[in-house]
Amino acid sequence: MPLDTSAYSLALLRVDGRRWNELRRIHAQIRTQAAADGSSYLEMGHTKVMCVVNGPSEPGPRRGGVGGTSAAGSGGGGGQSKDAEVAVSVVVAGFSSVDRKRRGKNDKRILELQSTISSALGASLHTHLFPHSTISISLHVLSLDGSLLAALINAATLACVDAGIPMTDYVAACTAGSTSTYAANDESADPLLDLNHQEEQELPGLTVATLGDSDRVAVLVCESRVQVGRLEGMLAVGVDGCKQVRGIIDRVVRDKGRRMLQEGTVEKGVGLEDMDLD
Amino acid sequence: MPITILAPKPTRQAHSHNGHNDDDAMSDSGSDSSGAGGDDDLDEMVSAAAAAGLKSQRDSKYEIVTPGEVITDDPQWMRGHGTYVNPATSAIISSVAGTVSRTNKLLSVRPLRARYTPEVGDLVVGRIVEVQAKRWRVDVGATQLASLPLSAINLPGGILRKRTETDELQIRTFFAEGDLLIAEVQQLFQDGGAVLHTRSLKYGKLRNGVFVAVSGMGGGGGVVRSRRQVWTMDAANGGGQIDVVLGVNGFVWISKHVETPEGLVEKAATTGITNLEESVSATMYSSQNDRIEVDTMREIARLRGVVIALVENGLRVDEDMLIRGYHEAVEMAMVSADGLDDLYLGGEKGEQLAAVLTGI
Repeated sequence: MPLDTSAYSLALLRVDGRRWNELRRIHAQIRTQAAADGSSYLEMGHTKVMCVVNGPSEPGPRRGGVGGTSAAGSGGGGGQSKDAEVAVSVVVAGFSSVDRKRRGKNDKRILELQSTISSALGASLHTHLFPHSTISISLHVLSLDGSLLAALINAATLACVDAGIPMTDYVAACTAGSTSTYAANDESADPLLDLNHQEEQELPGLTVATLGDSDRVAVLVCESRVQVGRLEGMLAVGVDGCKQVRGIIDRVVRDKGRRMLQEGTVEKGVGLEDMDLD
Repeated sequence: MPITILAPKPTRQAHSHNGHNDDDAMSDSGSDSSGAGGDDDLDEMVSAAAAAGLKSQRDSKYEIVTPGEVITDDPQWMRGHGTYVNPATSAIISSVAGTVSRTNKLLSVRPLRARYTPEVGDLVVGRIVEVQAKRWRVDVGATQLASLPLSAINLPGGILRKRTETDELQIRTFFAEGDLLIAEVQQLFQDGGAVLHTRSLKYGKLRNGVFVAVSGMGGGGGVVRSRRQVWTMDAANGGGQIDVVLGVNGFVWISKHVETPEGLVEKAATTGITNLEESVSATMYSSQNDRIEVDTMREIARLRGVVIALVENGLRVDEDMLIRGYHEAVEMAMVSADGLDDLYLGGEKGEQLAAVLTGI
């Protein structure tokens, strides 16, 4: 069913009842899997993503490399480079969206998602501290309702924080769109924040990720046709949304850390105030 | 390992909770600055430092820094691990989530959890993953594989014998892929890689036991560096003696106690040194388990259960905790329906155990 955009101008409410600048509910958790170095679970509305980070670790000799070369297909990298390699794998579960679609491992869209996430996080993570090693990030999409790339980036960032991998700052991502379609060529189109699946199908949209609280854009992906006049507004709204997202995921980390301190599993820190006294 | 995803909290409650926290921080910062605004010189200095150095007021007891947070922009501090410097502002910024620690003028951030970082002198348990011409590559849970040169092990037939080409050719007879060993970190490379050695009769190949990996340094419990990391304890219920090795890297080895080489050393004082060499070399690189009685196996499994229960409940794993936990577990098994064979210490039983241990 096509999205009816004409109703928006009447009440200024979107199909799911949000205003133009409202995010969907974001719920996140870290340390969901004890066996991994870092793990996270993130929901942005109905988009649900799980992330597991292993490493940085040095890959041993390839299994089965002695017997035959068949197994040594992908991911041989890492090897002797001076920086750690960020290997990302994305799996979209068959049951994640309404129509049950089988996506192969070599789906071009998934490959692009992987390389986008890898380069975005690779730029923020301090990979130079871990020569010859690999940071492997595996992401599982459990439910799909728009803003997939943004949710994946946020989940991966959280899991990397959980794994204790040094990074410059959080990479927080969010989508932005426009209230009317490209074809409508509506001059008074408003920008929209955080598109869901229905809006993503019909309206022009972009995904933007920024580095922490700054305005530095780490990822900008726009796959739809959009009038250049609208782009600036969309980008501004998107960057603003990223800051909100950063605040939310930062609070998740802080809450977890505070709880660990209260339980006494980590030693308490020192305040800088004490230091001037001696 | 099970995946734990909690049911989402009601949003209202979460909001009020967060709001409350924020209010707390606000009121704290207010009281702090008013307190520091006293006439005292010292107070003024502190308040100046706080104003200049701290981006935000932090609850002094439970303060956490997160990546990207400015710790201080006062140039008097030096940056340590877990931090980086923004070249434009020369502010020291945290790069991990954790707690701030300082050594004189050096500021560093201890992450809540991270992989093991080797330090010289650490006692580690590792697993061989690769055999090369003159060395082994050992997985010790660090970011890189550690290396164990052939020249850094005790060669059979003489404790300090020089290595020869014959040894190189039969390198797999000492350690092969998958073998577990206990070693000490001898040296560190610039890039963080470690070199191990086993040149002591205390170190070497491990057998007759069970391996447990707990999360390494920082957070979530785990093994801490302590005075004693290897000990022999008496097991209850006729289990004989059990050796426990807590590797600093979070790898734990629990095994049946066998007559150790040290024991032989004492004997050798009377019987002569050649005898010692023979008896040591015979067993040092054997991969064959000795006969282990069922009672001993059961108690080893119980100890393993205690280690896992400690980790799951976020408690430190050290000698004192483990011994107390073990005795508690034996008591718990006594009163349970299955008797001594009740080894399960997960879930509620683990929480019960942890409660008893933290209660004392």
